[in-house]
Amino acid sequence: MKRTQLKRTQLKRIALYLALFMGAAVAVAPYLMTLNSAFKEPARVLTTPAWEPAVPATLGNFAKVWSEYDMAGFLLHSLVYAGAVTIGQVVFSTMAAYAFGRMSFPGRDALFWGYLATMMVPQIVTLVPLFLIMREFGLIDTYLGLILPTAFGTPYGIFLVRQYFRTIPRDLESAARIDGAGTWTVLTRVVLPLSRPILATLATITFITTWNTLLWPLIVTNGDAVRVVTLGISALKGQYSSQYHLILAAAALALLPLVVIFLLFQRHIVRSIALTGLK
Amino acid sequence: MRHVRDTAEAYTLLAPSLIGFLLFLVAPIFGVAGLSLFDWNLMGAPSFVGLDNYRELAADPEVWRSLFNTVYYVLLNIPAQTVLALLLALALNRRMRGGKVFRVAFVLPWMAMPVALGIVWSWIFDPRYGAVNQVLGMAGIDGPNWLTDPAWAMPVIASVNVWQYTGYTMLILLAGLQAIPHQLYEAAAIDGTTPAQRFFMITLPLLRPSLFFVLVTNTIGSFQVFDTVFVMTQGGPGGATDVLNFHIYQQGFQLFRAGFASALAMVLFGLILLVTAAQFLYFRKRTVYDFS
Repeated sequence: MKRTQLKRTQLKRIALYLALFMGAAVAVAPYLMTLNSAFKEPARVLTTPAWEPAVPATLGNFAKVWSEYDMAGFLLHSLVYAGAVTIGQVVFSTMAAYAFGRMSFPGRDALFWGYLATMMVPQIVTLVPLFLIMREFGLIDTYLGLILPTAFGTPYGIFLVRQYFRTIPRDLESAARIDGAGTWTVLTRVVLPLSRPILATLATITFITTWNTLLWPLIVTNGDAVRVVTLGISALKGQYSSQYHLILAAAALALLPLVVIFLLFQRHIVRSIALTGLK
Repeated sequence: MRHVRDTAEAYTLLAPSLIGFLLFLVAPIFGVAGLSLFDWNLMGAPSFVGLDNYRELAADPEVWRSLFNTVYYVLLNIPAQTVLALLLALALNRRMRGGKVFRVAFVLPWMAMPVALGIVWSWIFDPRYGAVNQVLGMAGIDGPNWLTDPAWAMPVIASVNVWQYTGYTMLILLAGLQAIPHQLYEAAAIDGTTPAQRFFMITLPLLRPSLFFVLVTNTIGSFQVFDTVFVMTQGGPGGATDVLNFHIYQQGFQLFRAGFASALAMVLFGLILLVTAAQFLYFRKRTVYDFS
């Protein structure tokens, strides 16, 4: 009697792991197949299945997209774009979040609700007017044109940091205030050192989102001057749609930096995603 | 006096974000509402046409098709993604070896670049060289021409999104599950309930806030699908994947019909508001237990 029960729980456990393992395999397989095929010789990309190991391996596909199709340039432009937006987002969202979360001033709640309400506005709504603004200022095809709309901090970023600030005990700030510290000193010396996890999370999420953005760069740039990687690889796909060895190598180069960043910060990210759902 | 200084200080901290907010978010929102009343090709002088753009779009079969396609995409997407995520969250909601590794593996797709995924998926679903038809071939099945088949193109595009966001949704639901007090399950078990009863009478009702959150945010996101369509099909074959966002982009930035595109954008905005409000009402009227 006891034996069969033991067996049944064991069987259940094995079934559970099997299901989870299959799910994980599906989640990871496209990455692995892409990377694997990017190392294959051009002819073998088409003649061998995606899961057959890249033997012999070659760096030829990467070399070709890197220099001949200027993936190096696309990646550099994306790095500057995403890096600048991330710095702006972290600095300015933190400042605004502190004002909203820790200071009282007339108009605070109305303003905060105004920020929150715009989180529901689809990105495409603002696109035509934003394009007109950038054209008016002569910022088409420039880094500034790319960066400006999101560099002052987004409602999402402000909301995320504000929620975190509200969990920090007020006593710490009061103590510093009594010692004569001003708002700026309290923010930079007391609050920020305690907020490293949320700042790392915001920076990572902002970098990922900006790196992946297609729509805004598609509108505000049209030449090679600051062409970002999303535009670069979609143009590559349009041009060489059947040359999988090239477009897969390019896709791998676009995907991998984020996998690395994600694995470095996964602890923070996993926790903060879980938190956003818990109000 | 102190009060005045505090206010000044607060607004100094707010200033940069306020500039960005007013100039790049609020002004464009009003701008698009205004533009939707004009006929303008982005050059020369715009001419005021009142509600003509709205009349035109209401009578345009292509607009209705893109509206239908968008709703179809959302309906393919959200139920599949939510059910899968719930099953994974239930499986991971226990102490187990390797739980954290599974969690990271499931969330890994979430941060992938949709444009690059579009490329990878086009390859995976390539009729001749793709992994899907090769596997089907081994089972003796002759796979369809996925992305060039009007019946299959949209499900394939939806599958990219399901693959990408199931892990993310799972994480939020898992956090919701972990917030349910386990005493409830113990008490219910003593009362002789079956696991199915416990799921429908404890788990599902108490998970409602988390489910609500993922349904609202994922639905808003799905209504705005663009990148994968842009890379994989450009709205084809024969308009089968021409979703609203893509249609707006084409009208505004390829055909330079700024007014018409703005009117369409207003429609998408209204649609999202409507669906969100409906979800709010549906979840509002149910009881929510608060254990905090």
